Amino acid sequence: MSDHEHRIKVWDIPTRLFHWLLVVAVGTGLITGFISPEWWMGIHIWAGYGTVLLVVFRLVWGVFGSEYSRIETFAFTPGEVIAHLRELIFLRPLHYIGHNPAGAMMIFALIFFLFGITISGLLVLGGEENQGPLAGVISYQVGDVAAEVHEVLVFVLMVLISLHIIGVILEMRLTGENLITPMFNGHKVIPEGEVASELRSSKPLLAAIFLFAFAVISGSVLWALSTMPPSGIIQLAKNANYTAECGDCHEVYHPSLLPKASWAKLMKDLENHFGEDASLDQGVTDGIAGYLQAHAAEAWDTEASNRFSKVSSTTTHQITATAYWKRKHKDIGAEVFKRKGVGGKVHCSSCHLDAASGRFDDQKIKIPEQ
Amino acid sequence: MKTLKNTIAIAATAVLFSSVSSGIVVAISTRDTIIKDFAVKAGAPLSAERGKALFETKAGGGKPETPSCTTCHGASPMNTGKTRAGKLIEPMAVSKTPERFTEIKKVKKWFRRNCKSVLGRECTPQEKGDFLTFMSSK
Repeated sequence: MSDHEHRIKVWDIPTRLFHWLLVVAVGTGLITGFISPEWWMGIHIWAGYGTVLLVVFRLVWGVFGSEYSRIETFAFTPGEVIAHLRELIFLRPLHYIGHNPAGAMMIFALIFFLFGITISGLLVLGGEENQGPLAGVISYQVGDVAAEVHEVLVFVLMVLISLHIIGVILEMRLTGENLITPMFNGHKVIPEGEVASELRSSKPLLAAIFLFAFAVISGSVLWALSTMPPSGIIQLAKNANYTAECGDCHEVYHPSLLPKASWAKLMKDLENHFGEDASLDQGVTDGIAGYLQAHAAEAWDTEASNRFSKVSSTTTHQITATAYWKRKHKDIGAEVFKRKGVGGKVHCSSCHLDAASGRFDDQKIKIPEQ
Repeated sequence: MKTLKNTIAIAATAVLFSSVSSGIVVAISTRDTIIKDFAVKAGAPLSAERGKALFETKAGGGKPETPSCTTCHGASPMNTGKTRAGKLIEPMAVSKTPERFTEIKKVKKWFRRNCKSVLGRECTPQEKGDFLTFMSSK
Protein backbone atom coordinates (compact mmCIF):
# COMPACT_ATOMS: atom_id res chain seq x y z
CA MET A 1 0.00 0.00 0.00
CA SER A 2 1.28 3.41 -0.89
CA ASP A 3 1.07 6.44 1.36
CA HIS A 4 -1.51 7.90 -0.95
CA GLU A 5 -4.00 5.21 -0.09
CA HIS A 6 -3.73 6.03 3.61
CA ARG A 7 -4.77 9.58 3.05
CA ILE A 8 -8.49 10.25 2.84
CA LYS A 9 -10.47 13.46 2.63
CA VAL A 10 -12.25 13.85 5.95
CA TRP A 11 -13.28 17.52 6.14
CA ASP A 12 -14.82 18.95 2.97
CA ILE A 13 -14.23 22.57 1.98
CA PRO A 14 -17.56 23.95 3.27
CA THR A 15 -16.98 22.38 6.70
CA ARG A 16 -13.45 23.79 6.95
CA LEU A 17 -14.57 27.17 5.69
CA PHE A 18 -17.40 27.10 8.22
CA HIS A 19 -15.01 26.37 11.06
CA TRP A 20 -12.61 29.20 10.34
CA LEU A 21 -15.30 31.72 9.47
CA LEU A 22 -16.94 30.86 12.79
CA VAL A 23 -13.63 31.54 14.51
CA VAL A 24 -13.57 34.95 12.84
CA ALA A 25 -17.21 35.74 13.62
CA VAL A 26 -17.07 34.61 17.25
CA GLY A 27 -13.66 36.23 17.75
CA THR A 28 -14.99 39.51 16.35
CA GLY A 29 -18.04 39.22 18.59
CA LEU A 30 -15.93 38.60 21.67
CA ILE A 31 -13.49 41.41 20.97
CA THR A 32 -16.14 43.99 20.08
CA GLY A 33 -18.27 42.84 23.00
CA PHE A 34 -15.60 43.01 25.67
CA ILE A 35 -13.04 45.63 24.89
CA SER A 36 -14.12 47.88 22.10
CA PRO A 37 -15.88 51.20 22.44
CA GLU A 38 -19.62 51.43 22.08
CA TRP A 39 -19.57 53.01 18.66
CA TRP A 40 -18.31 49.68 17.33
CA MET A 41 -21.62 48.08 18.26
CA GLY A 42 -22.49 47.80 14.57
CA ILE A 43 -19.65 45.34 14.00
CA HIS A 44 -20.71 43.33 17.05
CA ILE A 45 -24.22 43.02 15.64
CA TRP A 46 -22.97 41.85 12.25
CA ALA A 47 -20.73 39.30 13.98
CA GLY A 48 -23.90 37.99 15.63
CA TYR A 49 -25.87 37.71 12.40
CA GLY A 50 -22.85 36.05 10.78
CA THR A 51 -22.64 33.52 13.61
CA VAL A 52 -26.31 32.55 13.24
CA LEU A 53 -25.96 32.09 9.50
CA LEU A 54 -22.84 29.95 9.94
CA VAL A 55 -24.44 27.75 12.60
CA VAL A 56 -27.57 27.27 10.51
CA PHE A 57 -25.40 26.40 7.55
CA ARG A 58 -23.56 23.83 9.67
CA LEU A 59 -26.85 22.16 10.67
CA VAL A 60 -27.96 21.97 7.03
CA TRP A 61 -24.52 20.71 6.03
CA GLY A 62 -24.84 18.19 8.86
CA VAL A 63 -27.57 16.56 6.75
CA PHE A 64 -26.37 17.17 3.19
CA GLY A 65 -22.61 17.42 3.63
CA SER A 66 -20.05 14.78 2.78
CA GLU A 67 -19.53 11.71 5.00
CA TYR A 68 -17.78 13.09 8.09
CA SER A 69 -19.65 16.41 8.04
CA ARG A 70 -22.92 14.57 8.56
CA ILE A 71 -24.36 14.72 12.07
CA GLU A 72 -25.32 11.03 11.95
CA THR A 73 -21.62 10.10 11.77
CA PHE A 74 -20.96 11.75 15.11
CA ALA A 75 -24.28 11.26 16.88
CA PHE A 76 -22.93 8.89 19.51
CA THR A 77 -24.97 7.14 22.18
CA PRO A 78 -24.45 8.23 25.81
CA GLY A 79 -22.70 4.92 26.40
CA GLU A 80 -20.16 5.62 23.65
CA VAL A 81 -19.53 9.12 25.03
CA ILE A 82 -18.94 7.80 28.56
CA ALA A 83 -16.68 5.06 27.22
CA HIS A 84 -14.61 7.63 25.30
CA LEU A 85 -14.33 9.93 28.31
CA ARG A 86 -13.17 6.94 30.40
CA GLU A 87 -10.54 6.16 27.78
CA LEU A 88 -9.44 9.79 27.93
CA ILE A 89 -9.09 9.64 31.71
CA PHE A 90 -6.90 6.56 31.37
CA LEU A 91 -5.06 8.42 28.60
CA ARG A 92 -5.74 5.69 26.04
CA PRO A 93 -8.45 7.05 23.72
CA LEU A 94 -9.50 5.07 20.68
CA HIS A 95 -8.89 6.62 17.29
CA TYR A 96 -11.76 8.08 15.27
CA ILE A 97 -11.48 9.15 11.66
CA GLY A 98 -14.16 11.84 11.97
CA HIS A 99 -15.28 13.55 15.14
CA ASN A 100 -14.70 11.56 18.30
CA PRO A 101 -17.48 11.46 20.95
CA ALA A 102 -15.89 14.21 23.07
CA GLY A 103 -15.52 16.46 20.01
CA ALA A 104 -19.08 15.68 18.98
CA MET A 105 -20.39 16.70 22.41
CA MET A 106 -18.42 19.92 22.07
CA ILE A 107 -20.00 20.64 18.68
CA PHE A 108 -23.51 20.20 20.04
CA ALA A 109 -22.72 22.32 23.09
CA LEU A 110 -21.19 25.09 20.96
CA ILE A 111 -24.17 25.12 18.60
CA PHE A 112 -26.57 25.26 21.56
CA PHE A 113 -24.75 28.11 23.28
CA LEU A 114 -24.14 30.05 20.07
CA PHE A 115 -27.87 29.98 19.39
CA GLY A 116 -28.53 31.10 22.95
CA ILE A 117 -26.02 33.92 22.67
CA THR A 118 -27.31 35.21 19.35
CA ILE A 119 -30.97 35.01 20.39
CA SER A 120 -30.31 36.76 23.71
CA GLY A 121 -28.21 39.30 21.83
CA LEU A 122 -31.12 40.03 19.51
CA LEU A 123 -33.33 40.52 22.59
CA VAL A 124 -30.81 42.96 24.11
CA LEU A 125 -30.65 44.83 20.83
CA GLY A 126 -34.41 45.13 20.57
CA GLY A 127 -35.04 45.79 24.26
CA GLU A 128 -32.21 47.91 25.55
CA GLU A 129 -31.11 49.57 22.34
CA ASN A 130 -34.48 49.69 20.57
CA GLN A 131 -32.81 48.47 17.40
CA GLY A 132 -32.99 45.46 15.16
CA PRO A 133 -36.01 43.38 14.17
CA LEU A 134 -37.30 43.03 17.73
CA ALA A 135 -37.22 46.75 18.60
CA GLY A 136 -40.99 46.97 18.29
CA VAL A 137 -41.85 43.95 20.41
CA ILE A 138 -39.28 43.74 23.20
CA SER A 139 -39.43 46.08 26.20
CA TYR A 140 -36.38 47.51 27.92
CA GLN A 141 -37.07 45.30 30.94
CA VAL A 142 -36.89 42.10 28.88
CA GLY A 143 -33.78 43.39 27.11
CA ASP A 144 -32.19 44.05 30.49
CA VAL A 145 -32.73 40.43 31.60
CA ALA A 146 -31.53 39.18 28.22
CA ALA A 147 -28.32 41.20 28.70
CA GLU A 148 -27.56 39.24 31.88
CA VAL A 149 -28.29 35.95 30.14
CA HIS A 150 -26.17 37.01 27.14
CA GLU A 151 -23.21 37.64 29.43
CA VAL A 152 -23.50 34.37 31.33
CA LEU A 153 -23.80 32.40 28.08
CA VAL A 154 -20.72 34.14 26.67
CA PHE A 155 -18.70 33.15 29.73
CA VAL A 156 -19.83 29.54 29.27
CA LEU A 157 -18.87 29.83 25.60
CA MET A 158 -15.38 30.97 26.53
CA VAL A 159 -15.03 27.99 28.85
CA LEU A 160 -16.19 25.71 26.00
CA ILE A 161 -13.72 27.27 23.55
CA SER A 162 -10.92 26.75 26.09
CA LEU A 163 -11.96 23.12 26.61
CA HIS A 164 -12.15 22.65 22.85
CA ILE A 165 -8.56 23.85 22.39
CA ILE A 166 -7.30 21.90 25.42
CA GLY A 167 -9.15 18.81 24.12
CA VAL A 168 -7.53 19.07 20.69
CA ILE A 169 -4.07 19.39 22.21
CA LEU A 170 -4.72 16.52 24.63
CA GLU A 171 -6.01 14.16 21.93
CA MET A 172 -3.10 15.06 19.66
CA ARG A 173 -0.65 14.18 22.42
CA LEU A 174 -2.40 10.95 23.37
CA THR A 175 -3.04 9.62 19.88
CA GLY A 176 -0.06 11.21 18.17
CA GLU A 177 -2.38 12.34 15.41
CA ASN A 178 -2.20 15.82 13.92
CA LEU A 179 -5.72 17.25 14.16
CA ILE A 180 -4.90 20.79 13.10
CA THR A 181 -3.49 20.36 9.59
CA PRO A 182 -6.63 18.48 8.40
CA MET A 183 -8.68 21.54 9.39
CA PHE A 184 -6.75 23.37 6.66
CA ASN A 185 -6.17 20.80 3.91
CA GLY A 186 -9.04 18.45 4.74
CA HIS A 187 -6.96 15.27 4.62
CA LYS A 188 -6.13 12.77 7.32
CA VAL A 189 -3.64 9.93 7.29
CA ILE A 190 -5.41 6.75 8.29
CA PRO A 191 -3.44 4.45 10.63
CA GLU A 192 -2.43 1.02 9.36
CA GLY A 193 -5.30 -1.43 9.47
CA GLU A 194 -8.10 1.08 10.02
CA VAL A 195 -10.80 0.99 7.38
CA ALA A 196 -12.74 4.06 6.45
CA SER A 197 -16.46 3.59 5.96
CA GLU A 198 -18.11 4.27 2.63
CA LEU A 199 -17.46 7.94 1.89
CA ARG A 200 -20.76 9.46 0.86
CA SER A 201 -20.44 12.69 -1.07
CA SER A 202 -22.25 15.91 -0.35
CA LYS A 203 -25.48 17.17 -1.89
CA PRO A 204 -24.76 20.84 -2.37
CA LEU A 205 -27.92 21.57 -4.35
CA LEU A 206 -30.22 20.23 -1.63
CA ALA A 207 -28.20 22.10 0.99
CA ALA A 208 -28.49 25.30 -1.02
CA ILE A 209 -32.26 24.87 -1.37
CA PHE A 210 -32.69 24.40 2.38
CA LEU A 211 -30.39 27.31 3.21
CA PHE A 212 -32.20 29.51 0.74
CA ALA A 213 -35.56 28.52 2.22
CA PHE A 214 -34.26 29.31 5.70
CA ALA A 215 -32.90 32.68 4.58
CA VAL A 216 -36.16 33.62 2.86
CA ILE A 217 -38.42 32.52 5.74
CA SER A 218 -36.37 33.91 8.61
CA GLY A 219 -35.50 36.99 6.59
CA SER A 220 -39.15 37.81 5.89
CA VAL A 221 -40.17 37.16 9.50
CA LEU A 222 -37.44 39.49 10.77
CA TRP A 223 -38.25 42.05 8.09
CA ALA A 224 -41.95 41.98 9.02
CA LEU A 225 -41.04 42.48 12.67
CA SER A 226 -38.63 45.27 11.85
CA THR A 227 -41.37 47.29 10.15
CA MET A 228 -43.02 47.75 13.56
CA PRO A 229 -42.13 51.06 15.16
CA PRO A 230 -39.68 50.71 18.05
CA SER A 231 -41.45 50.33 21.37
CA GLY A 232 -41.31 53.11 23.92
CA ILE A 233 -40.26 55.87 21.52
CA ILE A 234 -42.95 58.47 21.06
CA GLN A 235 -43.03 61.07 18.35
CA LEU A 236 -41.99 64.08 20.38
CA ALA A 237 -44.08 67.12 19.57
CA LYS A 238 -41.95 70.25 19.52
CA ASN A 239 -42.79 72.88 22.08
CA ALA A 240 -41.99 76.32 20.69
CA ASN A 241 -41.41 77.90 24.10
CA TYR A 242 -39.24 75.05 25.35
CA THR A 243 -37.11 75.20 22.21
CA ALA A 244 -36.83 78.99 22.17
CA GLU A 245 -36.56 79.92 25.84
CA CYS A 246 -34.38 77.07 27.07
CA GLY A 247 -32.50 76.95 23.79
CA ASP A 248 -31.45 80.60 24.23
CA CYS A 249 -28.77 79.60 26.71
CA HIS A 250 -28.17 75.89 26.26
CA GLU A 251 -28.85 72.82 24.17
CA VAL A 252 -32.50 71.84 24.10
CA TYR A 253 -32.23 68.70 26.20
CA HIS A 254 -34.50 65.79 25.45
CA PRO A 255 -37.26 65.64 28.10
CA SER A 256 -36.61 61.92 28.64
CA LEU A 257 -33.26 62.68 30.29
CA LEU A 258 -34.81 63.52 33.68
CA PRO A 259 -37.76 62.09 35.62
CA LYS A 260 -40.96 64.04 36.27
CA ALA A 261 -40.01 64.95 39.83
CA SER A 262 -36.70 66.47 38.74
CA TRP A 263 -38.29 68.56 35.97
CA ALA A 264 -40.97 69.78 38.38
CA LYS A 265 -38.40 70.94 40.95
CA LEU A 266 -36.17 72.51 38.31
CA MET A 267 -39.06 74.47 36.79
CA LYS A 268 -40.11 75.76 40.22
CA ASP A 269 -36.73 77.39 40.84
CA LEU A 270 -35.74 79.05 37.56
CA GLU A 271 -34.50 82.09 39.54
CA ASN A 272 -31.60 79.90 40.63
CA HIS A 273 -30.92 77.89 37.50
CA PHE A 274 -27.40 76.43 37.74
CA GLY A 275 -25.99 79.74 38.93
CA GLU A 276 -28.15 82.07 36.85
CA ASP A 277 -31.54 83.69 36.93
CA ALA A 278 -33.48 82.01 34.15
CA SER A 279 -36.96 83.03 35.26
CA LEU A 280 -39.74 83.36 32.68
CA ASP A 281 -43.29 84.70 32.61
CA GLN A 282 -45.56 82.50 34.71
CA GLY A 283 -47.60 81.48 31.67
CA VAL A 284 -44.51 80.44 29.71
CA THR A 285 -43.07 78.64 32.74
CA ASP A 286 -46.29 76.68 33.27
CA GLY A 287 -46.46 75.74 29.60
CA ILE A 288 -42.92 74.40 29.54
CA ALA A 289 -43.37 72.63 32.89
CA GLY A 290 -46.48 70.87 31.56
CA TYR A 291 -44.67 69.81 28.39
CA LEU A 292 -41.78 68.39 30.42
CA GLN A 293 -44.13 66.51 32.76
CA ALA A 294 -45.87 64.91 29.78
CA HIS A 295 -42.61 63.86 28.10
CA ALA A 296 -40.33 63.10 31.06
CA ALA A 297 -38.31 59.88 31.35
CA GLU A 298 -41.34 57.94 32.62
CA ALA A 299 -43.11 58.37 29.27
CA TRP A 300 -40.39 56.54 27.32
CA ASP A 301 -38.84 53.09 27.13
CA THR A 302 -35.37 53.84 25.80
CA GLU A 303 -32.06 52.98 27.41
CA ALA A 304 -31.50 56.63 28.38
CA SER A 305 -35.02 57.10 29.79
CA ASN A 306 -34.79 53.90 31.82
CA ARG A 307 -31.50 55.02 33.32
CA PHE A 308 -32.38 58.67 33.91
CA SER A 309 -35.79 57.84 35.36
CA LYS A 310 -33.85 56.50 38.35
CA VAL A 311 -32.23 59.88 39.06
CA SER A 312 -33.34 61.18 42.44
CA SER A 313 -34.87 64.66 42.36
CA THR A 314 -33.12 65.42 45.66
CA THR A 315 -29.58 64.86 44.39
CA THR A 316 -29.12 66.82 41.17
CA HIS A 317 -30.97 68.17 38.15
CA GLN A 318 -27.75 68.40 36.22
CA ILE A 319 -27.78 65.55 33.71
CA THR A 320 -23.98 65.50 33.47
CA ALA A 321 -23.67 65.25 37.26
CA THR A 322 -25.70 62.06 37.55
CA ALA A 323 -23.90 58.83 38.46
CA TYR A 324 -25.11 57.16 35.26
CA TRP A 325 -23.88 59.96 33.01
CA LYS A 326 -20.49 60.00 34.73
CA ARG A 327 -20.11 56.24 34.47
CA LYS A 328 -20.96 56.25 30.75
CA HIS A 329 -18.43 59.03 30.04
CA LYS A 330 -15.64 58.00 32.41
CA ASP A 331 -13.31 56.91 29.59
CA ILE A 332 -13.61 60.21 27.75
CA GLY A 333 -10.74 62.50 28.70
CA ALA A 334 -11.14 66.11 29.76
CA GLU A 335 -9.30 67.22 26.62
CA VAL A 336 -12.00 65.67 24.44
CA PHE A 337 -14.67 67.86 26.04
CA LYS A 338 -12.44 70.89 25.45
CA ARG A 339 -12.34 70.29 21.70
CA LYS A 340 -13.94 73.03 19.66
CA GLY A 341 -16.28 70.62 17.93
CA VAL A 342 -17.47 69.25 21.25
CA GLY A 343 -17.73 72.46 23.26
CA GLY A 344 -18.12 70.91 26.70
CA LYS A 345 -20.22 68.29 28.44
CA VAL A 346 -23.33 70.41 27.96
CA HIS A 347 -23.48 69.63 24.22
CA CYS A 348 -24.92 66.12 23.96
CA SER A 349 -25.51 66.53 20.24
CA SER A 350 -21.86 67.30 19.46
CA CYS A 351 -21.12 63.56 19.73
CA HIS A 352 -24.59 61.96 19.96
CA LEU A 353 -25.90 62.64 16.48
CA ASP A 354 -29.37 61.39 17.48
CA ALA A 355 -29.62 63.31 20.76
CA ALA A 356 -32.68 65.21 19.57
CA SER A 357 -34.66 61.96 19.24
CA GLY A 358 -33.74 60.78 22.74
CA ARG A 359 -32.44 57.46 21.38
CA PHE A 360 -28.72 57.89 22.00
CA ASP A 361 -27.80 54.85 19.90
CA ASP A 362 -24.30 53.51 20.36
CA GLN A 363 -23.68 53.67 16.63
CA LYS A 364 -24.70 57.32 16.49
CA ILE A 365 -21.72 58.42 18.58
CA LYS A 366 -19.19 60.39 16.53
CA ILE A 367 -16.69 62.33 18.60
CA PRO A 368 -15.34 65.34 16.67
CA GLU A 369 -11.57 65.08 16.15
CA GLN A 370 -11.01 68.80 16.59
CA MET B 1 -48.82 100.35 -23.18
CA LYS B 2 -45.17 100.99 -22.60
CA THR B 3 -45.83 103.79 -20.17
CA LEU B 4 -48.26 101.59 -18.22
CA LYS B 5 -45.60 98.89 -17.87
CA ASN B 6 -43.09 101.45 -16.69
CA THR B 7 -45.51 102.85 -14.20
CA ILE B 8 -46.18 99.38 -12.78
CA ALA B 9 -42.45 98.71 -12.57
CA ILE B 10 -41.78 102.00 -10.81
CA ALA B 11 -44.69 101.45 -8.42
CA ALA B 12 -43.53 97.92 -7.59
CA THR B 13 -39.99 99.13 -6.96
CA ALA B 14 -41.28 101.91 -4.79
CA VAL B 15 -43.42 99.53 -2.73
CA LEU B 16 -40.55 97.10 -2.32
CA PHE B 17 -38.07 99.79 -1.40
CA SER B 18 -40.38 101.51 1.03
CA SER B 19 -41.33 98.28 2.78
CA VAL B 20 -37.69 97.31 3.29
CA SER B 21 -36.66 100.77 4.42
CA SER B 22 -39.72 101.11 6.61
CA GLY B 23 -38.68 97.86 8.32
CA ILE B 24 -35.35 99.40 9.14
CA VAL B 25 -37.00 102.66 10.17
CA VAL B 26 -39.40 100.78 12.44
CA ALA B 27 -36.47 98.92 14.02
CA ILE B 28 -34.59 102.13 14.65
CA SER B 29 -37.65 103.92 15.92
CA THR B 30 -38.61 101.09 18.32
CA ARG B 31 -35.12 101.02 19.76
CA ASP B 32 -35.14 104.79 20.05
CA THR B 33 -38.52 104.66 21.74
CA ILE B 34 -37.28 102.06 24.21
CA ILE B 35 -34.21 104.15 25.04
CA LYS B 36 -36.21 107.40 25.28
CA ASP B 37 -38.64 105.66 27.58
CA PHE B 38 -35.79 104.76 29.94
CA ALA B 39 -34.49 108.36 29.76
CA VAL B 40 -37.90 109.69 30.73
CA LYS B 41 -38.14 107.25 33.64
CA ALA B 42 -34.58 108.09 34.73
CA GLY B 43 -35.26 111.82 34.58
CA ALA B 44 -31.64 112.48 33.68
CA PRO B 45 -29.52 112.41 30.52
CA LEU B 46 -28.14 109.02 29.46
CA SER B 47 -24.44 108.31 29.13
CA ALA B 48 -22.65 105.81 26.94
CA GLU B 49 -19.64 106.11 29.26
CA ARG B 50 -21.64 104.97 32.27
CA GLY B 51 -23.15 102.22 30.12
CA LYS B 52 -19.64 101.00 29.27
CA ALA B 53 -18.67 101.03 32.93
CA LEU B 54 -21.79 99.03 33.85
CA PHE B 55 -21.01 96.48 31.12
CA GLU B 56 -17.50 95.97 32.45
CA THR B 57 -18.03 96.31 36.21
CA LYS B 58 -17.49 93.46 38.63
CA ALA B 59 -19.77 94.89 41.24
CA GLY B 60 -20.39 91.73 43.22
CA GLY B 61 -23.70 91.04 44.87
CA GLY B 62 -24.86 88.77 42.08
CA LYS B 63 -24.36 85.07 41.59
CA PRO B 64 -20.73 83.95 41.88
CA GLU B 65 -20.92 82.25 38.47
CA THR B 66 -21.68 85.56 36.71
CA PRO B 67 -19.57 88.37 38.22
CA SER B 68 -19.92 90.63 35.16
CA CYS B 69 -21.82 91.09 31.89
CA THR B 70 -18.54 90.26 30.20
CA THR B 71 -18.57 86.76 31.76
CA CYS B 72 -20.88 85.66 28.96
CA HIS B 73 -20.90 88.54 26.48
CA GLY B 74 -17.11 88.77 26.26
CA ALA B 75 -14.87 91.76 26.90
CA SER B 76 -16.04 93.68 23.83
CA PRO B 77 -19.66 94.19 22.70
CA MET B 78 -18.33 93.98 19.16
CA ASN B 79 -17.53 90.28 19.57
CA THR B 80 -19.62 87.15 19.84
CA GLY B 81 -20.15 85.93 23.39
CA LYS B 82 -20.87 82.51 24.82
CA THR B 83 -23.27 81.36 27.53
CA ARG B 84 -21.91 79.26 30.36
CA ALA B 85 -23.73 76.35 28.73
CA GLY B 86 -21.89 76.94 25.48
CA LYS B 87 -24.42 78.72 23.23
CA LEU B 88 -23.08 81.57 21.14
CA ILE B 89 -24.44 85.06 21.83
CA GLU B 90 -24.61 87.53 18.95
CA PRO B 91 -22.56 90.69 19.55
CA MET B 92 -24.39 93.23 21.71
CA ALA B 93 -23.25 96.19 19.58
CA VAL B 94 -26.10 97.45 17.41
CA SER B 95 -23.69 98.00 14.51
CA LYS B 96 -22.95 94.26 14.52
CA THR B 97 -26.45 92.98 15.36
CA PRO B 98 -28.96 95.53 14.01
CA GLU B 99 -32.01 93.76 15.45
CA ARG B 100 -30.73 94.26 19.01
CA PHE B 101 -33.08 96.01 21.51
CA THR B 102 -35.98 96.33 19.09
CA GLU B 103 -38.37 94.09 21.00
CA ILE B 104 -39.49 95.50 24.34
CA LYS B 105 -40.46 92.04 25.64
CA LYS B 106 -36.95 90.68 25.10
CA VAL B 107 -35.30 93.80 26.50
CA LYS B 108 -37.37 93.52 29.69
CA LYS B 109 -36.78 89.77 30.05
CA TRP B 110 -33.02 89.90 29.71
CA PHE B 111 -32.52 93.01 31.86
CA ARG B 112 -34.65 91.40 34.60
CA ARG B 113 -32.75 88.11 34.58
CA ASN B 114 -29.22 89.26 33.87
CA CYS B 115 -29.23 92.21 36.28
CA LYS B 116 -30.30 89.75 38.99
CA SER B 117 -27.62 87.25 37.94
CA VAL B 118 -24.81 89.82 37.80
CA LEU B 119 -25.81 92.48 40.32
CA GLY B 120 -28.22 90.56 42.50
CA ARG B 121 -30.93 93.20 41.91
CA GLU B 122 -33.05 94.78 39.19
CA CYS B 123 -31.33 97.52 37.21
CA THR B 124 -32.57 101.11 37.45
CA PRO B 125 -34.04 102.88 34.38
CA GLN B 126 -30.91 105.04 34.37
CA GLU B 127 -28.64 101.96 34.18
CA LYS B 128 -30.76 100.36 31.46
CA GLY B 129 -30.82 103.58 29.45
CA ASP B 130 -27.05 104.07 29.80
CA PHE B 131 -26.45 100.45 28.77
CA LEU B 132 -28.57 100.71 25.62
CA THR B 133 -27.01 104.08 24.74
CA PHE B 134 -23.58 102.49 24.96
CA MET B 135 -24.59 99.52 22.81
CA SER B 136 -26.26 101.80 20.23
CA SER B 137 -23.08 103.86 19.97
CA LYS B 138 -21.05 100.76 19.20
